[in-house]
Amino acid sequence: MISGLVQLFLWQGLGELLSKFFLPGIPGPVLGLLLLLAFLCLRGQVDKDLAEVADSFRQHLGLLFVPASVGVLLFLPELKTHALAVSTALVISVILTIAVTAIVLKMFWYFSLKRHKGNALHREQRHE
Amino acid sequence: MNKRLPISDIWVYLSGDPLFALIITLATYQLGYLLYVRAKRNPLVNPVAISVILTCLAIDVLDMPYEKYFEGAQFVHFLLGTATVALAVPIYHGFKRMQGKIFHIWVALTVGSTVSIASAVAIAKLMGATDNIVGSMYAKSVTAPIAMGIAERLSVSPTLTAVFTVITGMLGAILAPYILNAVKVQQWWIRGTAIGVGAHGLGITRAFSVNEEAGIYASMAMGLNGVISAIGLPIVLTYLRPHLGF
Repeated sequence: MISGLVQLFLWQGLGELLSKFFLPGIPGPVLGLLLLLAFLCLRGQVDKDLAEVADSFRQHLGLLFVPASVGVLLFLPELKTHALAVSTALVISVILTIAVTAIVLKMFWYFSLKRHKGNALHREQRHE
Repeated sequence: MNKRLPISDIWVYLSGDPLFALIITLATYQLGYLLYVRAKRNPLVNPVAISVILTCLAIDVLDMPYEKYFEGAQFVHFLLGTATVALAVPIYHGFKRMQGKIFHIWVALTVGSTVSIASAVAIAKLMGATDNIVGSMYAKSVTAPIAMGIAERLSVSPTLTAVFTVITGMLGAILAPYILNAVKVQQWWIRGTAIGVGAHGLGITRAFSVNEEAGIYASMAMGLNGVISAIGLPIVLTYLRPHLGF
């Protein structure tokens, strides 16, 4: 478990350095993520320790943003005045996001199915 | 006779210690998580929401300023960056499965998150929300750790962004099955990807509990969407901001 954490910290540190000196537009951890992803792709496997730590982070990701979210206390009056705007925006946006993403993928799926069928038909016709 | 410490002295000592904020944060989350498991992982019983509400109540009752609380809780907060790096692992697992679909998924994620941002910002703005709120709608469709990094770079409130992200995750996890049935999508990988974009961490847990393939695609979509937004959003916004007048 410790070795998994050490690996993550090292990639994060590398990402932070890269962000500081070369790519200030992109957050360090995101660069760390990309570096680790490239490393995993080159290596072709994830070691057990890293997989274990990554999995527990994924499962309890929510805990990590509790401290920041508690800051909502400072914004309560502002949010109360605009409660309707905030809730409408969030609900409609969630529905549209999920629906649109699914529809786009479904369209691609249909096109590739059609193309496959078309190719198969084409081949059969040539055989005849 | 022993000189007994008055209770208020003990309290003053404890509340000055960073440990106290850590205990509240972790204990309330633990409680929320227990309830969540007990409720068969019903997205309405969101452990993060429970923890945030209880912690808010606790520091309000104890009259502890937020800054003081954060001094202790920052140790948890710090790990957000590390958790972001760890997202590389589910993305990698997703990559291995999605041969030939990379381009499709990339397009779908870009379109999906554009719709998400545009609709949230437009509605909030039209309904007269403050600039603070509108600004925090930009990054809310990205998983919280990355969203807050983006928020800092756009100089909008990371706190509001985190709160909107948590609410989005809850809404998404609750609504996703109905939305996906309404648009008649049955393939698990498509359902998973859509949930990963729309409902973040909570959606992923939900997806994993229904189907493993959906869960893997959801984790991959969440991470990848974060990366695309982290790189794309600041670039797009520097060009658009002058025109939007914000």
